[in-house]
Amino acid sequence: MFTANTTLMLVATFLPLLGALVLLLVPKDQRRVFEIGSLLVMIVSFLMSVVFWFGYDRASDAVQWAQAWNWIPAIGVKFSVGMDGISLLLWLLTTFIGPIAIACSFSSITERHKEYYIWMLVLQTAMLGVFITQDMFLFYLFWEVMLVPMYFLIAIWGGPQKLYAAIKLFLYTLAGGVLMLVAILAIYFLQHKTTGVYDFSLASFQAMAPVIAQQTKTYQVLLALAFFIGFAIKVPMFPFHTWLPDAHVQAPTAGSVILAAILLKMGTYGFVRFLLPILPTATKELLPWFIGLSLIGIIYGALVAMIQKDMKKLVAYSSVSHLGICMLGLFALNPYGIKGGLFQMINHGISTSGLFLAVGIVYERRHTRMIADFGGLSKSMPVYATIFMIMTMSSLGLPLLNGFIGEGVVLMGAFQAFPWAAVVATLGIILGAAYLLWMYQRVMFGPITAVNEKMDDLNLREVLYFAPLVVTAFWIGMYPKPIMDVMDAPVKKLVEQITPGYHAAQSLAAQQAVAAKLGMQGMTAPAHHEETAPAGHEAATAGHEAPVHEAAAPETHGHGGGH
Amino acid sequence: MTGFAQGLLDALLRDTHLITPQLFLMVVATLMLWPGDLFFNRNEKHRWAPITLVVLAITAALIGRTPDGEGFSRMFRMDGLTRGFEMLCVLGAAATVALSVKLLNGLKQQTVEYYALILFSLAGMLFLCGASDLISVYFSLELMAICIYILVAYLRDRATSVEAGMKYFLLGAFSSGILVYGISLLYGAAGGTTTNLADLNQALALTPTTSNLLVFSGVLMVLMGMAFKVAAVPFHMWSPDAYEGAPTPITMFMATAPKAAALAAFLRVFGAGLHGVSSEWVLPLSYIAGASMILGNVTAVRQESMKRLLAYSSIAHVGYMLLGVLSGDPRAGAQAVWLYMLIYIVMNTGAFAVVIYLQGKGEGERIEDFKGLGRKHPVLAFAMMVFMLSLAGIPPLAGFFGKFYLFKLAIEQGFVTLTVIALLTSAVGAYYYLGVVKEMYFREPEGEAVPMGATSVFVVTLACALVLVATAFGPWLVDWASKVTWV
Repeated sequence: MFTANTTLMLVATFLPLLGALVLLLVPKDQRRVFEIGSLLVMIVSFLMSVVFWFGYDRASDAVQWAQAWNWIPAIGVKFSVGMDGISLLLWLLTTFIGPIAIACSFSSITERHKEYYIWMLVLQTAMLGVFITQDMFLFYLFWEVMLVPMYFLIAIWGGPQKLYAAIKLFLYTLAGGVLMLVAILAIYFLQHKTTGVYDFSLASFQAMAPVIAQQTKTYQVLLALAFFIGFAIKVPMFPFHTWLPDAHVQAPTAGSVILAAILLKMGTYGFVRFLLPILPTATKELLPWFIGLSLIGIIYGALVAMIQKDMKKLVAYSSVSHLGICMLGLFALNPYGIKGGLFQMINHGISTSGLFLAVGIVYERRHTRMIADFGGLSKSMPVYATIFMIMTMSSLGLPLLNGFIGEGVVLMGAFQAFPWAAVVATLGIILGAAYLLWMYQRVMFGPITAVNEKMDDLNLREVLYFAPLVVTAFWIGMYPKPIMDVMDAPVKKLVEQITPGYHAAQSLAAQQAVAAKLGMQGMTAPAHHEETAPAGHEAATAGHEAPVHEAAAPETHGHGGGH
Repeated sequence: MTGFAQGLLDALLRDTHLITPQLFLMVVATLMLWPGDLFFNRNEKHRWAPITLVVLAITAALIGRTPDGEGFSRMFRMDGLTRGFEMLCVLGAAATVALSVKLLNGLKQQTVEYYALILFSLAGMLFLCGASDLISVYFSLELMAICIYILVAYLRDRATSVEAGMKYFLLGAFSSGILVYGISLLYGAAGGTTTNLADLNQALALTPTTSNLLVFSGVLMVLMGMAFKVAAVPFHMWSPDAYEGAPTPITMFMATAPKAAALAAFLRVFGAGLHGVSSEWVLPLSYIAGASMILGNVTAVRQESMKRLLAYSSIAHVGYMLLGVLSGDPRAGAQAVWLYMLIYIVMNTGAFAVVIYLQGKGEGERIEDFKGLGRKHPVLAFAMMVFMLSLAGIPPLAGFFGKFYLFKLAIEQGFVTLTVIALLTSAVGAYYYLGVVKEMYFREPEGEAVPMGATSVFVVTLACALVLVATAFGPWLVDWASKVTWV
């Protein structure tokens, strides 16, 4: 019925906005119309997006369904859209979370329904737009537009400190965004100086990487820092994370879900899409700092989560920790690390939304989120306890559930690049298990109070919106291959962009390792073939500039270059 | 003697076509004062507003028809830059007139002088946009400013209004003195032969190094005099008080039309006239621009009065626009400033229209008065939100587009530090703009809803629509801006 093409992609992206415009005409006392209407719009948008999962050509690393229309030709701005595997996954995650976020709002939103659902729909289009755009100007546009609906969602329907939290989120992200704009413009003019064309397209920016690599070190580092701060605020990485607990705690449940599942992913997406491919040299230059901040985030987030008394704040800090793991994977700069990081982004989107939804359920019933107010809930709410358990396990990385795969792959990548960093990250994962299980234990077991005994278990609507999350968590945990396949080709391309000749060096090394093994078996080893060192050596002489043999610790950098 | 007089008359007649719009304005304004005023009795004075609007429309048409050229001993020049900025001035004046009617009716202060002064002042601005000689810059500035001094003090039975007018007048006169002194120094430095901007540029390049100090002090004083007119820090002290005391439509007028004209003069004086000695003024002007952005935005955060907030925010916006003057490429600079000014006028008109509407009911003066506007007037509040977000530069609204174009130019010309300051302070700006949004949407309303007046609805809706779609119409805007250029 539908084929995956650009038109359908644009329809799926802009359908929520269209729905918002239609809902604008409905009188504001028609609460049901807004609820059902926006849910339907989100579901239709999701169903349309699923077509792309099947239509995606996994063998190609190109941007698919790409199309561009001239917009402001004088300065080279195009309305340019398209997706590769990385964008596709996040785009699908967004359309997937959309209906869930709407469905969980039916009972929790008690006033100003019209505005609420309209803002949710506008937000959805802005977020979807970020993932399909292939033009830097357009990207910046969607990136900032997103802030306005989020600001209203938190500031109108949030908790007691909502105004403070909303403005903090807004200003932090805006400040990061404008720094990013400076970096974008700087590259734009560098491009004009070297090629003579004004072009904002992402492809042309990525093609600038070699030119940027020849600029002065200060210039590169400043550019990288401008991008880094812009995205790090959004992720958020330590020390730019302070807006996150405020925003999460004050936001309504659906706001937290969207914030955790999608908004934070935009930061990590920004790293993958812009910082790594456009500024690989400067990134490598600053890598120790980036890795350091990721590790601090992992440990600090986990430790602070441990002492929280408020469930929502605990989950919020767990996000800081989990996203540190994502970032560690991305900064490993090798296929395992990046794939794991991306994978962990999806996982975090599923499990943390699940946890926020779960916190939202008890908050709706008791209007408190303090861990101390609960206990023994597994007796009065068995279904809830089960789902909460699944989400907790998925978040802490139990095998058979999604989190395990992501963390495993990230650690593999990180170990190849920085073994000691992987060790520290493992500590963070252990701490993660500790605070999540401890929270679960305090909320679900133990003596039950009279008030908690009367709490209702999940109703049908609630079970229905948890169901897709639970199913996906199990599906990814047991059979992650389809998702890995989708990101395979684009990640391969990305690694090649970061370290030219990476895969060639890798496969050459592998071949020679095999050859060396065979040679040793067949005859006495030739004098110059010792262990695996020759592999890196040969790769260097094979004509690759900067052979980075990540498989053997970073020391090989100097080793290979020396010859 | 007769031969000289004949020659002078011929020259005047030959060049008259260049200043038809100005002549038209001055003649009409004079006729309005006498005998025009005799036709309407005391209660019919509000009829002057539509007549003034028609006059402004004709002026705009005349500006469009005036051919390019230079005349009056090369003191006035008509080209793309002049025409573009003249149109902005007319736009600002028209918006002022449209918004004045209701407020002046309410205060029973309708007089023909109000409208005539606006027209006279506009004539001064139109001269200023095309002034290509330091002397003509000076007298156009005075014609423009003196009318505005009176307009600021227009509500003469209110102490604040009179105080604001007096303050503005005294400081304005002072700064004019500095400007004239600077002009005389430059005149001397250039050998006492010319004040024409193009000639001055060549003459100053030839001055011996011994007169460097003379050139520098001359340039600095001209810069100070002009910075005063656009209210750039540290010559901004008059503006918050003048803004607060003046009748609100005049506040809007001051924030738009004279600024457009003064920036046109800025672009011409520094871009064309003193381009050769740019090493003398780039650094001071950079400091002025940076200080305007920082102080304007930071001080606006603490304001409780809506008019003062807009005054400080306009100081910050002038700081951004000075980036365009600073750029080493005067042509691109002029285009970016023009585009920004156009968008700024539209946003500001919208915001002031909302303030004036609320003021009609005795509110709107304080930011608190916006409390709960989202409930009382959803449309008005939505429009105000659009203006505020656009002033803050949030995409995809028009304000973002203007900023983008300007900052793009500044980075291209190597003013990276200033651009970073501009961007970060505009993030600070978002804080107080959102403060207004916060009052409107997140505070409970007090009092009953009152239906809106027709004029306000029209102005607000039009401005809101323009701001909303401006980024989508980027190609057209860039196209228009490209016409703003030297011949």
